[in-house]
Amino acid sequence: MNNFSQSSSVGQSGTSLGHAQQTTGILPDAVAKVRARDINVFYGTKQALFDVSIDVPDASVTAFIGPSGCGKSTFLRCINRMNDTIESCKVEGSIQVDGRDINDRAVDPVVLRASVGMVFQKPNPFPKSIFENVAYGPRIHGIAHDKPSLERIVEQSLRKAGIWEEVKDRLHQPGTSLSGGQQQRLVIARAISVNPEIILMDEPCSALDPIATAKIEELIDELRQNFCIIIVTHSMAQAARVSQRTAFFHMGKLVEAGCTDEIFTNPRDTRTQDYITGRFG
Amino acid sequence: MTEHTVRAFTEELEALGADLTRMGGFSEQALGDAVTAIARRDANLARIVIEGDKKIDVLQREIERKIMRLLALRQPMGRDLRQTVAALKLAGELERIGDLAKNIAKRALNIQEFEPIALTRSVERMGKIAVKQLKQILDTLTSQIVAGAVSVWMQDEELDEHYNSLFRELLTYMMEDPRMIGPGAHLLFVAKNIERIGDHCTNMAEVIYYLETGEDIGTDRPKAVDAALPPISLPPPATA
Repeated sequence: MNNFSQSSSVGQSGTSLGHAQQTTGILPDAVAKVRARDINVFYGTKQALFDVSIDVPDASVTAFIGPSGCGKSTFLRCINRMNDTIESCKVEGSIQVDGRDINDRAVDPVVLRASVGMVFQKPNPFPKSIFENVAYGPRIHGIAHDKPSLERIVEQSLRKAGIWEEVKDRLHQPGTSLSGGQQQRLVIARAISVNPEIILMDEPCSALDPIATAKIEELIDELRQNFCIIIVTHSMAQAARVSQRTAFFHMGKLVEAGCTDEIFTNPRDTRTQDYITGRFG
Repeated sequence: MTEHTVRAFTEELEALGADLTRMGGFSEQALGDAVTAIARRDANLARIVIEGDKKIDVLQREIERKIMRLLALRQPMGRDLRQTVAALKLAGELERIGDLAKNIAKRALNIQEFEPIALTRSVERMGKIAVKQLKQILDTLTSQIVAGAVSVWMQDEELDEHYNSLFRELLTYMMEDPRMIGPGAHLLFVAKNIERIGDHCTNMAEVIYYLETGEDIGTDRPKAVDAALPPISLPPPATA
C-alpha cells in the first residue's frame, strides 16, 4: 500500500503551464478539477507511463483513447490510487484534485475512492440484492443515518443512473440477476450513492450490446452536468459522441489532448491522426 | 500516409478520389466545349455538352451513394472524415458547374438564330478564364498543394470584373439596337453562368483548403463591386 513514492508537488502546479496548450491539454487553474503533472508509473522495472501532464475539467466528459497497452487505464487508476493495490507498482509525480494532492500521506485512499468512483469494463455488482449494492457505500461511509434516509439515497442513486423504473419492484432480488447493461447502470448507481465528484469509467460499454451502450452513453451525458467524468474507450465513435475533451495516449506517453471536435476532425499529431483514422493500433 | 488496417477502407477512399477526378474531367470538358460552342456557333458541340451532362449527374449520384456507405461502414475520422465530406461537397459543386455548362450550351443553340454579336469574343475570353480556374482547382485536388487553392480563391475577382464590364457593354448594345436584345440577353445569361462557375471554383477552393489544412480559408477575399448587381447608368430620358 505504501510502495508508491510521495510526490514532490510543491510549487509545481504553476510551472508546467508553459507546455503547448494544444497538445498537452493544460488548462487554466480555475477550470481544472484534476491536475496531473509529470506522472511516471513503473510496474517493477517496466515503465508504463512517461511524464504525463494533463488537466481534466469539471462538469464534463474527458475521453482517454489509445491502443491497448498505451497506459490510459494505468493513468486512470492513478486518479483514485487503485495502483496502490498492485505490489510492484510505483507512481511518481503529482495528482491534485481541487488543488489537493491525492498522494499526500494525510489522504485516506478509501475516502479518496468514495469521491473518485470507478466503473469497470465488466459490471461487478456485489453478490447481494439490488438495494444492498447501492446501500452498501452510504452505510459504510456513514452518509445515511437512518433507514428512510438510506432508502432515499438508494432511490435517488438508482434514478440518476436511469435504472429505477426497471428495478423498483425487485429491489431485493440479487444484483447479478439483472442484464449486463442493467448491472452496469447498477454499479454506476453504486458509485454515485456516495456523492463522488469524479467518476472514472474504464471501457464501461465494451461488454454491452448497442442498446445498453446507448443507454449508458445517454446516462453519461446526463451525469456530466454534476460530475467530472473520465472514460477510457476503444470506440472512437463513442469517444466522439460522449466526450467534450479527448486525450490520446501512445506507448505510455500523452501524445495530444484537446477539444474532442478538434481531435477527431483535425488532430495535430500524426500519431493521433494515424490512430483515429484506423491506420495502426 | 500509411494504409488503413482495414485495406478495403483505403480502397474505398481511393475509389472515391478517382470518381471525383473523373467527374472533374467531365465538368472541365463540358465547360470548355460550351464556351467553344458559343464562340464558334457550333451547334453539334453544344448538343454534345447538353447530352453529356447526364453522365455528370449519374457520377454525382454514384459518389453520393459511395459516401453514404463509407460513412455508415467506416465512420471516418480526422483527414479521412474531411476527405469524405469534401468529396460530397465537391461533387455537388461539379454537378452545378455541369448544369451551368449545359445551360451555356443551350444558349449557344439559341444564339444561332440571331446575327453574330461582337461581344461573343469577350464572353469567350471570360469563359477561358473560368476553364483555367476550374482546371487549376482540379489540379489542386490531385496535387494536394494548398497554395493552388488559395490562388484560385484569390482570382475570382477577375471574373467578376469581366462580368461587370460585359454587363455594361451588352446593355449599351441592347439600348442602341433593339434587335440586339435577344442575343444580348442570351449572352448576358451566358456571362452570368460563367461568373457563377467562378463562384463554384471559389467554393471548391474553400473546401479543398479545409480538407488539406483543417482550417477555414478566411474571409478576406478581394471582391469586385457586387457582380450580381453592377451599377446601371441609363441615358437620361428624352426631353420634349
